[in-house]
Amino acid sequence: MRLFLIALLCSAIWTLSAAPQVANKSPANDPSVATHRGIALVESGRCREALPLLKRWIPHLNDKQLRYSGGMAEARCAMAMDEESTAVEVLVALKRDFPDDPQVLYITTHYYSELATRASQQLAAKAPNSYQARRLEAEALESQAKWDQAIGVYNGILKENSQIPGIHYRLGQALLSRAGASGHVEEAKAEFEKELVVDPHNAAAEFVLGELARRAGQWNEAAQHFSNATKLDVGFSEAYLALGMSLAAAGKYPDAISPLRSYVQMQPADAAGHYQLAIAYARVGNKEGAARELALQNEASAHNQDNQTGPP
Amino acid sequence: MAYSSAPEVGIRPTFEEISSSASGIGWTHVAGLSSEMYLPETIGPGCAFFDYENDGWMDIYLVNSGPCDFYKPSTPLRNALYRNNRDGTFTDVTQTAGVLGNAYGMGVAVGDYDGDSFPDLYVTQYPRSILYHNNGQGGFTDVTEKAGVAAPGWATSAVWFDYDNDGRLDLFVCRFADFDKAKNVFCGNRDTGLHYYCKPDVYRPLPCWLFHNNGDGTFTDVSKASGIASSLGKAWGVVAADINNDGWMDLFVANDTVPNFLFANRGKGKFEEIGVLAGVAYNSFGAARSGMGVDAADYDQDGWLDLFVSNLNREMYSLYRNNRNETFDDVAIPTGLAQLTKVLSGWGLKFFDFDNDGNLDLILCNGHPDPMVSRREADSKYAEPMLLLRYDNGRWKDVSAVGGSAFSRDIAGRGLALGDFDNDGRVDVLVTVNNGAPILLRNNAERSNHWLGVRLVCRRANPDAVGARVTYQAGDLKRQRVKVGGGSFLSSHDPRLVLGTGNRPKIDWLEVRWPPPGDKIERFAELPIDRYITIVEGRGTWT
Repeated sequence: MRLFLIALLCSAIWTLSAAPQVANKSPANDPSVATHRGIALVESGRCREALPLLKRWIPHLNDKQLRYSGGMAEARCAMAMDEESTAVEVLVALKRDFPDDPQVLYITTHYYSELATRASQQLAAKAPNSYQARRLEAEALESQAKWDQAIGVYNGILKENSQIPGIHYRLGQALLSRAGASGHVEEAKAEFEKELVVDPHNAAAEFVLGELARRAGQWNEAAQHFSNATKLDVGFSEAYLALGMSLAAAGKYPDAISPLRSYVQMQPADAAGHYQLAIAYARVGNKEGAARELALQNEASAHNQDNQTGPP
Repeated sequence: MAYSSAPEVGIRPTFEEISSSASGIGWTHVAGLSSEMYLPETIGPGCAFFDYENDGWMDIYLVNSGPCDFYKPSTPLRNALYRNNRDGTFTDVTQTAGVLGNAYGMGVAVGDYDGDSFPDLYVTQYPRSILYHNNGQGGFTDVTEKAGVAAPGWATSAVWFDYDNDGRLDLFVCRFADFDKAKNVFCGNRDTGLHYYCKPDVYRPLPCWLFHNNGDGTFTDVSKASGIASSLGKAWGVVAADINNDGWMDLFVANDTVPNFLFANRGKGKFEEIGVLAGVAYNSFGAARSGMGVDAADYDQDGWLDLFVSNLNREMYSLYRNNRNETFDDVAIPTGLAQLTKVLSGWGLKFFDFDNDGNLDLILCNGHPDPMVSRREADSKYAEPMLLLRYDNGRWKDVSAVGGSAFSRDIAGRGLALGDFDNDGRVDVLVTVNNGAPILLRNNAERSNHWLGVRLVCRRANPDAVGARVTYQAGDLKRQRVKVGGGSFLSSHDPRLVLGTGNRPKIDWLEVRWPPPGDKIERFAELPIDRYITIVEGRGTWT
């Protein structure tokens, strides 16, 4: 990671050198002059002096290009000097002002990653036996598909305190992953149910329980869980789709229409919502609505296909 | 495995694989697999059980690849016709019968299109198909040009059925995508050298063919006039079945990467494609799947035909239960079918009552189309085992374990045909393997169960009685069987119906509803058991 930061710094310095130069008007309180000076200091490796200048003057700049160059320099110095809150503020500002810039997206990705690494190292150093540290360890094991080890860590946390929110949920997910596509889900299901006892507001747990019921063809049970999920999190779009699909599968087409309409409003680009809504409309005799939604489904499908490149 | 009739160790398996040395079937499919990976190479072949001599014994036809623009076989290749010797063995009579094929063969559809009581062969090929007319003396004549049914392009499955109820068999031919050697697409990564068979979404869809039988040995292409050509697909499998009980035969077509078609026959020679709103075109997320094999049967015995489609791995197969109003619900999940098939890629399949207990079971052959799939997807395999499923209390259960070794062996299964080649009333199975030898399975199931085999012969309706419904009562068992057209993948089946009664030793009565234009119901009693009979439309008796 250190090498990576050095490389990034070199890249930034090259970017700054290539930036258009503005004539030095030399008044001490000119934001443009001060920012150029700050950038020059970064180029010479003097972050300690550069950072206060850049923090002070960049917010007053009107020149967008200079804000970009200055922001990049400030972010790098903030990271180099472990001023994490400053780095985050600068990244947020850069992302806001240059949302599609590849370099901004690139450094944002890597700096957040670096910040996450630092935070996890701190957690391991300061509170190695805390459940948070062990949960992080388990999540890392999950990301490496080491399901048995992750499950062991989660169970260890729960043995000490079974009332910690989120752990039963994570354990359930790990059990599902270990079981695979065709495996038994009862053990996992029990963990999601325990999660809801610990944290009755966990919409994700409700959703997964709904999905497990849906996969088993238990439409009414699925619909109940998905409905709960939409109540716990009104912005949980997938729960509306799943609720509509479960109700439709149970033959309750009139009831399916409302959640499906909510879903297509939230996710108008998803063909699935339009298809399900079209079928529901058709089954209740609303031919006009069905035709409209089918047209939208075709449009969304065509758009999705256009966005796919090359052969599979 | 909770299956009460599981055989004990040492007893013959339910399906006994007959070796080529025992059967005399030495023919092998040659796919011509090439480094260019032309898509047809991984698709075929099909097969058929049919009685070409009308001697009452099922013969076998097997389709091979052959010369075309992308393939020049180093040695001549040919299809194969095997005559049933009535003792469990077969004799290759291909040369004398004159049914060798002449291009890159795909599948076969059997039907007596001219009503001379001898079954004819339509062999689908790339780039032109063949109609072989059966001359009734052991030989066939290529009448494709005269008949006008060459169907240029890449033809896959085909089915004979009477769409206009004039009593003659018409021909529907599935066409796959716009493909030839020049249009072949490279799929893979040129840098790493990884090359695989394309998912067909890189090819342009095309309409299928519908040919009207003029009754004089010629056919008229009515694809456009009938509305069939208005729908562009990539068709693999087709079954002709009356899905709305209106007396007109409809068509269900499995498409790959585009929506499946349900062509509702509206009479007067017109079809309306209703697949999307019928709920059989897409998966539940509104995405097209890779439909391959199809069949139609009334598996839940409610009097309405249900539909089945096999799809690619991770897509799950579809079982569409008929809602009796031209809509269907995919019940693959609640019936357990989805769980049983989610990691498989399916081709040939057929509903049938393998143990004659009176209930319809399901047999499927599987295999991913791309030999390189396991390099891309850890949980996928090119060769996969067959499946034997039994419907019990609303759930499909995997009873493959009692099927025998053929059901535990990984194969690149493609075509699948049903036929009782030894006339013992237990329906046997023929499976074709891509670039391999076919598998002939003798059914040894449940000798204690009783059955009646019925051959239906029409006089007014189409000669093969496609669309006929047979209802029978045996004690407390009442069942209905429908003679659908086609089904499976690239393959054609024994035209006889075998009606199982379980341990009930007598059929009390049997009713035949003949297809239009006859459309009469005839009822029969005092029927024999455990043998085959023939019922001719309008004669009021059986022989």
